[in-house]
Amino acid sequence: MSDAAVAIDLAAIAKTYKMGSLEVEALRGIDLRVGRGEYVAIMGPSGSGKSTLMNIIGCLDRPTRGTYHLDGTNVSHLDDNALAAIRLRKLGFVFQGFNLLARTDALKNVALPLFYAGVAARERNRRALAVLQEVGLADRAHHKPSELSGGQQQRVAIARALINDPSVLLADEPTGNLDTKTSTELMALFDQLHSGGRTIIMVTHDENIARNARRVVRLLDGLVISDDRSEYEQAGGSKVL
Amino acid sequence: MIYLEEALRVLAANKIRTFLTTIGLIIGVFAVISIEVLGHSMAGSISETLGALADDSFVIYPGQYQSDFDRAAIRMSDLTNIVATVPNVATAVPLGAMRMLIRYGHDEGRFVVASDSNPPFADLPLTYGSYFSDEDIASGADVAVISWRAYQRLFPEGGDPTGESIYAGAHRYVVVGVLAQPRRGVLNVNFGGDISIPYTTYVREYVHGDRVFAARFTVKDASIIPQTEVAVIDRIRQLRQVSNNVEYQTFDKAAFTGGINQLFTGITIVVGLIGAVSLIVAGIGVMNIMLVSIAERTREIGTRKAIGAQRGQILAQFFIEAFLLSGIGCFTGMALGLAAGGAINSLFIVKLTGYTAPIPIVQALLITAAFALVNTLVFGTYPALRAASLDPIEALRYE
Repeated sequence: MSDAAVAIDLAAIAKTYKMGSLEVEALRGIDLRVGRGEYVAIMGPSGSGKSTLMNIIGCLDRPTRGTYHLDGTNVSHLDDNALAAIRLRKLGFVFQGFNLLARTDALKNVALPLFYAGVAARERNRRALAVLQEVGLADRAHHKPSELSGGQQQRVAIARALINDPSVLLADEPTGNLDTKTSTELMALFDQLHSGGRTIIMVTHDENIARNARRVVRLLDGLVISDDRSEYEQAGGSKVL
Repeated sequence: MIYLEEALRVLAANKIRTFLTTIGLIIGVFAVISIEVLGHSMAGSISETLGALADDSFVIYPGQYQSDFDRAAIRMSDLTNIVATVPNVATAVPLGAMRMLIRYGHDEGRFVVASDSNPPFADLPLTYGSYFSDEDIASGADVAVISWRAYQRLFPEGGDPTGESIYAGAHRYVVVGVLAQPRRGVLNVNFGGDISIPYTTYVREYVHGDRVFAARFTVKDASIIPQTEVAVIDRIRQLRQVSNNVEYQTFDKAAFTGGINQLFTGITIVVGLIGAVSLIVAGIGVMNIMLVSIAERTREIGTRKAIGAQRGQILAQFFIEAFLLSGIGCFTGMALGLAAGGAINSLFIVKLTGYTAPIPIVQALLITAAFALVNTLVFGTYPALRAASLDPIEALRYE
């Protein structure tokens, strides 16, 4: 993998939390490279460190040791505002609980990151509508989250994550609050995004969901215990849910 | 402006909470603005009434509760001496007044006949004729300027009475002028008497012996009236050979209006303190509700930060929300205060004094804007900073 093709490059990442006098090692030296256009699932039981890893990849947190290059830039030791700027320009977040603004319609929810980026209102609305189209919700642009189904809300959240054309789409248990049928539909959308060239990193503890990814990284006790690029394809069929 | 739009949405979604929070501000600003309106019109009506008083003169009379009033009394001869010896004194004339039965034909009434000079102590407008002239003063002419009240009593048929003769006892005076009807009401201060005659005439007819009741002095430089008053009193004590225990009273426009201004300053300070206290109480309410609002929206704040909002952008959002909350309260209070102050003003003060003060809209706007701004800065800063400094990971985890 050439450097230009690498979106995420983690080297010997460690994270230690202080809980009173006790030091908890959430991550104990993670090496992980994710190329552009990859679709990676991160799995592991509770306490394995997958949330901590996700926070570091998402530039919400800084590693205690090790280096993190995002698109070739070292982001390991940036300050809060610099990290916020990285999140704004290079990352898109999809949360388990959707986290949409309740009293704001779909269009404005999707356009919010552009407001923080200083884009003018007319341009914000134009681009937000285009992304809503991409996730198949153009006709729901002026509905509030309470007027949308769970699956539709998550699509709005995905549209919001995509609006700034991020290098990496980060999804934290994106189907955790959805039923099986809706989850299947949502996974089809992720597939579609992947086919379109998006880099996707998804945290899940659901094997069926992870099966959609082309690469599965498993964590245990803060270490990578397996990294398989073709686990499910070899098992005989891709995208089995 | 998306911040304003979102803040409005938040406040509109919690209408009762917004209303309750703003009540304190509404009451505080209401009190301050309505008192401001009333104070403005009361001060205006008083200074309007006092405006007729001459600026360049003062009156001195012996304190009325002296043990030896006779010895303290000012003499005619003192007046010429004072004009000659005390710097800044231009003229000195005796003041006197007495109640007499005044007659015109079959109409009569008891009125105060008072001495006056030219220019008069109170420069009031005339309806008929003119004030007596310098020649009238010099010659001690038997002329009179009568008040509107005396005119109505003595000339019930109306018409221009100048040139007519009125009688005080057997003494005949020719009416040369009629003062205009004064403003009605409680603040109608009647300076001097109803029948003003030249002081020379008054002295000749009614001052027996050398003693005068009081004296009015005019000055060259009105800015040093207080010092001149002290110098004149010292001179009178020397001339009367009395000790400093003998008291003399003074009366001048500045002292009179100064007293009233002091009263209004006092009222303003009290109202200001009430306003400040209510501002603090209301501000704590605003701060409290902002903290509740931020706690409720912790996840929202976490989401905003995760998608890339900078600290300053979160800060701005909550500042604007606090400002909007303060602004709604303060400007509602201002509107109510202006309405209430204006209503009381036109129902009572205008009726009593006949003086219509302009409503101080600009002051009201400035006071209200200052209230809202100070309130936001003092009580909105901490909640906004708290929101801006939330850790996005913990905020996202918040249930």
